[in-house]
Amino acid sequence: MQDTLANQAPNDIQFSEAEVGTSLWRDAWHRLQKNKMAVASAVIIAALSLVSAFAPWIAPYSYEEQNLELRAVSPRPGHWLGTDALGRDQLTRLLYGGRVSLMVGIVATGVALLIGVTYGAVSGFFGGKTDIVMMRTVDIIYALPFTIFVILLMVFFGRDIRLLFVAIGAVEWLTMARIVRGQVQSLKKQEFIEAARALGLPRWRIIFLHMIPNILGPIIVYATLTVPSVMLLEAFLSFLGLGVQPPMSSWGLMIKDGADRMEECPWLLVAPGVTLAATLFCLNFLGDGLRDALDVRASKD
Amino acid sequence: MPLLTVNNLRTYFHTRNGVVRAADDVSFEIEQGETLGIVGESGSGKSVTCYSLMGLVPQPPGKIESGSAIFDGKTDLLKCSMNELNHIRGKRIAMVFQDPMTSLNPYMRIEDQLIEPLLIHGICGRAEAVKRGLHALEEVGVPDAAKRIRSYPHEFSGGMRQRVMIAMALITKPELLIADEPTTAVDVTVQAQILELIKKMQNELGMAVIWVTHDLGVVAGFCRRTLVMYAGRIVESAPTEQLFHRTKHPYTRALQQSIPALQPKGTELYTIPGAPPDLSKRIDGCAFAPRCEFAREKCGKPPIELKTVEPGHATACVRVQSNEISL
Repeated sequence: MQDTLANQAPNDIQFSEAEVGTSLWRDAWHRLQKNKMAVASAVIIAALSLVSAFAPWIAPYSYEEQNLELRAVSPRPGHWLGTDALGRDQLTRLLYGGRVSLMVGIVATGVALLIGVTYGAVSGFFGGKTDIVMMRTVDIIYALPFTIFVILLMVFFGRDIRLLFVAIGAVEWLTMARIVRGQVQSLKKQEFIEAARALGLPRWRIIFLHMIPNILGPIIVYATLTVPSVMLLEAFLSFLGLGVQPPMSSWGLMIKDGADRMEECPWLLVAPGVTLAATLFCLNFLGDGLRDALDVRASKD
Repeated sequence: MPLLTVNNLRTYFHTRNGVVRAADDVSFEIEQGETLGIVGESGSGKSVTCYSLMGLVPQPPGKIESGSAIFDGKTDLLKCSMNELNHIRGKRIAMVFQDPMTSLNPYMRIEDQLIEPLLIHGICGRAEAVKRGLHALEEVGVPDAAKRIRSYPHEFSGGMRQRVMIAMALITKPELLIADEPTTAVDVTVQAQILELIKKMQNELGMAVIWVTHDLGVVAGFCRRTLVMYAGRIVESAPTEQLFHRTKHPYTRALQQSIPALQPKGTELYTIPGAPPDLSKRIDGCAFAPRCEFAREKCGKPPIELKTVEPGHATACVRVQSNEISL
């Protein structure tokens, strides 16, 4: 065994007869697969993401293409979800809107994740005065009224979709930082972290290689639950006219347009409303499923 | 020159209920290749002493108030920078912890954890490290090491995990191993195996071992010299044999009397009356006096100091020091 090992390049080392251990991740994966709701949700989200991502190729029309003959018509062949007041195809706009909504959801969550995890882990690990200063800063930002913050941003920097990412990201990382800090604090007292310190590992290595993998469970769960809340925020901002600007479409914007003409053309509200609701449902189900899979103690079985 | 000289180590914890003097004026030294036992009951400051040396005392609330710990004649472990300390711990001084169930990172493969010290301290490249890791695992007697090295900690039993911890501690061939009750959390048969294993590795590597335990039996069979700690202080320090046969402190004697195996069968087991003192309160005089059958008025007054009464044998009992009692 040792001879073969020595002759192999470091990356090629394989233990042909070795049993490769089952990681706790794989265990969780197996548990997740047994959760039918979570799996179904994951499939729906994946499908929605795919069709949205490929909207320019799939969609029958362009998102700003108007057909002035067919304005605000109900669903019919050719326009499966009808058209809006300006004669734009509703299905197309739904697909393009999904692009924006999901993108905001994923990017903003990614930003929140990156800042929140790093910030929280550093704060929790170092503790003491560093922790106090860092967490009070979080409290202060937390206290800012979100809508006013976004309006200010829009006023000063103009209506730019990138600002939407910034605004949402700037708010969502706070909770993540708090969660991670708490987890790191309790993890810090665990013996294997002491053991890692006793081995002379540098602090950054302990934080990022030993601690974060151990708290990835709660991080993943929270991230999955952040995506829908971010999407809802985007919809809310677009609804208020602070988010995505026409002729670009987003689900929030479409719901707003639909709500304006709810009585004459209900399909304009129903389609984006149902899609958004279904997506949020699925993400929440997936988040719950992940939590049950990753945290065995909290789950019922 | 001793490998490690600890002088007047004072580690205090500043808590809401006052200052807890967890290690108070602890001094000892250990030679190269020597085995030093530190015994005492829970809360006597054994672990805190070791944690202080390894820079693991959480600060705050802990604080190393004074003292020095000169390693290898050069570095003061208590005052050197984090960087310097990281070059020593894990490489030249290693530690094995009490509870093997929680001392390994549950999300990392055994292999990756095992070879981490080698990679971190730049001792060798990854390929060589993997080879040495496997060898180390075989050395400590993990069956099927080659097969199991890619497993995760939860797939190992407690005894096996403790072996992994030992392999991990010894993989850099340290000069000093601090074993903080490594046999407490494993069952009796495994205890004996772990003990033998560390003895064997010590012979091979010629390292010094500080063995922290509350098991006098372990000390008797293993350590050349022994320190007895009580309430954060060293109360007796002697070559192990002398400690057992010419005991110089009532606490040590009481500990010995509480070992079931040393008592005639059928007699009631001796227990020390009372409980250890609250370390957050100031203790004037001898901390053991309230529980000591030999205590007199003078035991309640300072100064209580560790004094050498025979070559290599020191006691903190004032009555023994002044020859009023012999145990």
